[in-house]
Amino acid sequence: MLVRLVRLGAPLARRDDLPKRLRNEAVVVLGQRKLLQRLVPGLMHAAIFWGFLVLFPTILLALVHAADREPGLPDGSVLGWLDRQGWFAFLVDLFACLVLAGVATAFAIRKVQRPRRFEGSHLREADLILALIAGIVTTLLAWHASQIALGLNAWPAAWSPVSDALSGVFGDGTATEALERALVWAHVLIILSFLVYLPYSKHLHIVTAAVNVFFGRTRARGRLEPLRFDLPEEELRFGAGTAAELTWKEILDTLSCTECGRCQDVCPAYATGKELSPKLLIMGLRDHVRAEGPKLLADPAAATAPLVPGAVSDEVVWDCVTCGACVHECPVSIEHVDHIVDLRRHLVMVESRFPVEADPMLRDVERAGNPWGKPQAERAAWAEGLGLRVLEPGDPAPEVLYWVGCAGSFDERARVSARATARLLLAAGLEVAILGPRESCTGDPARRMGNEYVFQSLAERNVATLDAAGATKIVTSCPHCFNTLANEYPDFGGRYEVVHHTELLAELVREGRLRPRPGAQAITYHDSCYLARHNDVLAAPRELVGAVGRPLEMARSGRRTFCCGAGGAHMWLEERGSAINEERVREAAATGAETLAVACPFCTMMLDDGVKQSGRELRVADVSTLLAEALERP
Amino acid sequence: MNVLVCVKRVPMTGGTIVLTPDGQAIATQHLGFTISPHEECGVEEAVRIVERHGGESVVLTLGPPEAEEQLRDALALGIDRAIHLVTDGEEWDAQATAAAIAAAVEAERAAGIEYDLLLFGNESADAGGYQVGVRVAHRLGLPCATGLKSLAVEGGRIRCEQEAPGGRDVYDLPLPAVVTVKEGLNLPRYPSVPGRMRAQRKPVAASRPARPEPRLERLRLVVPGGQRKQAEILGHGPEAAPRVVEVLERIGVLT
Amino acid sequence: MTVLALVERGPEGPDELSLQALAFARSLAPGEPLHALAPVRGGEGTELAATLGEHGVSTVHLAEHEAFAAHAPVALARAVVELVERLAPAAVVAAGSERGNEVLAHVGALLDLPLATNCLEAALGEPMRLTRLRWGGSLLEEASLHGSPKLLTVAPHAVPAEAAPAAGPAVERFTPSLTDADLVVRVVERVQAAAGGISLADAKVVVSAGRGAGSAEGFAVIEELAALLGGAVGCSRAVTMAGWRPHTDQVGQTGTKIAPDVYIACGISGATQHLAGCKGAKTLLAINTDPDAPILASADYAVIGDLHEVVPAISAEIRKARGR
Repeated sequence: MLVRLVRLGAPLARRDDLPKRLRNEAVVVLGQRKLLQRLVPGLMHAAIFWGFLVLFPTILLALVHAADREPGLPDGSVLGWLDRQGWFAFLVDLFACLVLAGVATAFAIRKVQRPRRFEGSHLREADLILALIAGIVTTLLAWHASQIALGLNAWPAAWSPVSDALSGVFGDGTATEALERALVWAHVLIILSFLVYLPYSKHLHIVTAAVNVFFGRTRARGRLEPLRFDLPEEELRFGAGTAAELTWKEILDTLSCTECGRCQDVCPAYATGKELSPKLLIMGLRDHVRAEGPKLLADPAAATAPLVPGAVSDEVVWDCVTCGACVHECPVSIEHVDHIVDLRRHLVMVESRFPVEADPMLRDVERAGNPWGKPQAERAAWAEGLGLRVLEPGDPAPEVLYWVGCAGSFDERARVSARATARLLLAAGLEVAILGPRESCTGDPARRMGNEYVFQSLAERNVATLDAAGATKIVTSCPHCFNTLANEYPDFGGRYEVVHHTELLAELVREGRLRPRPGAQAITYHDSCYLARHNDVLAAPRELVGAVGRPLEMARSGRRTFCCGAGGAHMWLEERGSAINEERVREAAATGAETLAVACPFCTMMLDDGVKQSGRELRVADVSTLLAEALERP
Repeated sequence: MNVLVCVKRVPMTGGTIVLTPDGQAIATQHLGFTISPHEECGVEEAVRIVERHGGESVVLTLGPPEAEEQLRDALALGIDRAIHLVTDGEEWDAQATAAAIAAAVEAERAAGIEYDLLLFGNESADAGGYQVGVRVAHRLGLPCATGLKSLAVEGGRIRCEQEAPGGRDVYDLPLPAVVTVKEGLNLPRYPSVPGRMRAQRKPVAASRPARPEPRLERLRLVVPGGQRKQAEILGHGPEAAPRVVEVLERIGVLT
Repeated sequence: MTVLALVERGPEGPDELSLQALAFARSLAPGEPLHALAPVRGGEGTELAATLGEHGVSTVHLAEHEAFAAHAPVALARAVVELVERLAPAAVVAAGSERGNEVLAHVGALLDLPLATNCLEAALGEPMRLTRLRWGGSLLEEASLHGSPKLLTVAPHAVPAEAAPAAGPAVERFTPSLTDADLVVRVVERVQAAAGGISLADAKVVVSAGRGAGSAEGFAVIEELAALLGGAVGCSRAVTMAGWRPHTDQVGQTGTKIAPDVYIACGISGATQHLAGCKGAKTLLAINTDPDAPILASADYAVIGDLHEVVPAISAEIRKARGR
C-alpha cells in the first residue's frame, strides 16, 4: 500500500544523474556521513546500522536453525560456508557488542541527555524499537553461546570470544538443549515482530531512507523545482493543497522521517520560539498522508482534506525562512523547503491566502519590477559619479555584467556595498557594466512566497534581457539573485557564468589586481544561507576577511550557518516571536569581534537592525565595503 | 444585480516623475502600469456585490490597446466580462470620457443589459479630475454619491458612507445609481493563478469611439519646482522649531 | 466681468479653503465685482456674509433651502446654475476640496461645460490658460479651458486666504427652484467617528517615531505633537518589534501605507520597507540625530537633533503661533 501511495504522487523528475545518486547512496547511507555530522549520536547510529549489515546473514541462519537444530547446511551454500568462518563469527561477536553499545548510548542520550530535538517525537515508540534491537542482539549472543555449550557451533569457538565466554553460563544438559531452542525461537520471533511493527513506525526508515536518499536531489541545493503552466488544464498543478497533490518524493519523504529532530535542532524559526518545526511539519504531513491513504488509493480526487490547516497550520507554512539548515542536516535526504514552498504555492496561487503584509511586495515585484515599488527609472541612481557603464539596448556586451539586485539598487544600506563593489571592479581594470532600469527583480521573493507564476514571468523577461545584452559572465551582490541566476534560470534557458562578488573580488586579490592593506580589526564573517549552504561559497569571503583583518569564527558557520531571518521572503513578512536576527547578533557579539562581515544585502539590513535593536557596539559591513576601505587605508 | 466598474490604466510612478522631452507625457519606458488605487477597490466591490447578490459584473475602460492588460487584471479577480473603448493613446478630457462611457452604457441597455450600479474611482491617479462619474450619472439620469468608503446594497437601495471631518456622512440612494469610491473601501484580493488563466478566456468587447476636440486641453506637463535632490536642513536641535512651524504653516496643516 | 465663488461653511464661518478660493477669484479679475454663493437654511447667514465681505466679496448670495441643513450636492449645483444664468459670470470658482470638486462637477455636467480642478494659476481669456495639479500634486499641467463661464476649483493652499475688506457686501437671499430629483442625493445621517481619532491611512498629518523614541514612554512627546496638529501617531517596525506600539500603528510596506500632507518622521533611520509605506506623503520632515541616516535621502526637510528635545520645542512653538 505504501508503495502504491508513493507511486500515486505527482510527477517529479528524479531518475537522472545515476552516478551521483549511487555516490550519495554510498556516502550518505553506507558512509553515514550526514549522521556523523554529530559525533556521538552519529557513531551510535553507525554502530547499529553497520552492525545490522554484518548481522543480516545471521538472521537467515537463525531462521534455518529455528526449523532444524542441525540443518547441516552444505558447504557449497553461501550460508553454510559463512557459518563455518571464524572471521565471520568474530565480526558477528564484535558488531553485536557494538550494537549493544549503540543501544546503550541511544538510551543514554534519550534518558539522560534528553536533547530538545526530540520534543514532539514519538519517544515510546523509539524506546520500544531500541528494546527490540537490544533483544535481537542479546538473544543472538545467548543463542550462539548455547550452541557453543552444546558443541553445535560450525565455526571455531575461539573466534567468537564473547559468545564463548558466555557459553560458560550454560551446561551441556537437556536444559541447555531446551534453552538453545528457546533462544533461537525468541531471536526469530523478536525479529518477526520487529518486521510486523516496522511499517507502522518511524523505523520504516530502514527501508525507505535508502530509497529516499537515492532519489534525493543531485542538482544545486538552492534550486526549486519549476512548475509547468503550459500543460492542459486537467494536468496543471499549483503546488500542494491536498495529499493527492503532493509529489511522490514528498510522500516518500514523509515515510522516511525518523523523527530524529536534527532538522528541528538547527531551525532558526524553531530556535526563536515560532510554531514551525521541520520535523513536526514532516510528521504532520505523514499522518495526513496515512489518514488519507485509503481514499487516495480508491480515488485520488476524493482526498480533498486540505493540507493547510489540516496537516500543518498556516503559521508553520509562513514561519520558514528557506535557509535549508534542516535539509542540510537531514540524514535521510528529506527536502523540507520543497514541502514548504509547495504548500505556499497552493495557498498563494489558488487560495490567495498569505500574510496580508506581503501583498504589496507581491504586487510591486510584478508591476514595478522590484519588491518596494521604487521607480525603475532610478535603478542606476546609486552608481551616479562612479563611471559605471549603463548598458543601453544594442550596446556591445561587457566583459562582466554586474547584476546589482533590488537591494543594492534602492536600499541605502545595501547601496554602500554596491558602490564599493563597483569601485573595486573598476579599480581592478575590469570592463564592467550594469543594466540599469532594464534590470529587475529576479523573482526570488515571489518564488519563495509561493508565487511560481509571477516568478516564471519575471524569469522569462530577465533571461530575454540578459540574452539580448549578450551577457556571458555575471557578478551579483545578492546571494538570492546569485542562486536564482545560477541555479534556477537554466530551467528557463538562461545559462551564464555567475559569480558572487566575493568570489570575483577574491580572485582579483589573488591575482594582485587589488592590493588591500592588512588591518588589525577583529572580524567575524556571517555566512549567508544562499551563498554557503545552498551554493558552497565559503572560502572566497573568508580569504577577503583574512586579507583585511583578523578573522574570528562563530560557532555556527560555513554550511551550518544560522540564518539572518530574511530568507524565504521574510524581508517582507512580520516576524512572530523573538527575532532571528537578534539571536544571530548575540552569537556574533560573543566572538568579541568589532565588525560583523556579511556578503548579502539582506543579511546587512537584518543584522544591522539586530545590532541596533539590541543596542550593541558592532559594525555590520559587507565584505566588499571592508575591502574597499582596506585599499584606501594609508 | 448587474454592476459596471470603470477603470483607467495609469503608470506606476513610484516617486520622481520623468517626462518625455516634449513635456506631453510621462516617460513610461521603465514603468509598470496599474489601475488607479480607488478603482482597484471599485473592482473588488463589484466582484463582492455580484458574489453576494448574483448578476453580472462588467469592467469598462477607455484607453489605449495596452489597457487590455488592466481589463484582464480585473477579469482575473472575478469580473465576468470587459468592454474596451479603444483610444489611440491620446488623452481624453473628462467630458469626452464621460460621453463615451455613457454611450457605451446606452448601447448595453439597447442590447438588453441594464446596470443597477455603476462604480467609478473618486478621481483618477493621473488626471485627478474628480468628475467622470458625476458626468456619466447626469447623462444617464442617475443619482450619484462621491468619495465613498463604505457601500451596502439592500432591497433596491444603496447606503453609502463618505469620509467627513469628525465622522462619516451617509447617503441613501435608490438603484440604479452611480457611485465613486475611494481607496480604503475594502482590501482588494490578490489574484489567483487559475483566476488569471480564466481571465485570458473571458470576453473583451472592443470598439473605437471617435475622440471629440478636448475642451480642457493639455498644453504641456511640468515637474514642479525642479526635482529636489537633498533634504533642506532646517537647523540643529530645538532652535530649529520656529522654521519647522513656518514650513507647517506654508503647507497649511497649522489651521 | 464678474466672478462667482462657491463658499463652503466650516464649523465656525466659512471654510479656510473657501477663503483661499475667494483670494484666487479676486486675482482672476482684480477690481471687478466678486459674487459669492453660500447655501444656508432659511434666515441664516448674516454673520457669514459679513465675514465674506472682509474677504473682498461685493455681493453675497445666500441660497436658502431646508435641504441645505446638510450637504446636498445636486441641489447646490442647481443653485449655482440658477445664479450663473442670472449673473452670467466669466468664471465660477470653488475650493479644490472633495465637496468643491464634487459640486462643480455637477455644475459642469448640468451646463455641459468643462471643469478644471485643483488649479494653481489661471488667467481669464478665451481660452483660459491655467496651471493645475495632476498626480496628487507631483506633476503640473498647463492647459487651455474652453467654454463659458470657466469652471475652476482651486488647489488647496495654492494661494493664502488673505483678507481684502470690501465696503459692506450686499446680501441677496434666494430660494433655488429644486425638484425632488435634485434632493435625492443628500446626507441623511452623520456617523460620528469612533474614539481614537483619525485613522493612520486617512490622516493629513502623521507624526511617527522609530527606535529613537527609546521606549513606549518616549512616545508621549510624539502623541502631543500629533494631537496639536490633529494628526495620527505612527511608528516604525523596530518599535512594533520592541512592543512599544501595536502593529496597527506601524507605517511601512508591511504595515499601513500612508499619504498625509505632512509626514514627520522622528528618530526613524529610514529602512527601505518603511519608506515604501510613506512614499505617498506630500512632504516628509525627518528629525534625526544622524545627519547620514538614510531617511534624509528621501526627506524634503530635516532637523538634525534628538527628537526628545526637538519635538517638544516644535509643540511649544505651535502653541506660541496659535496664541498670536
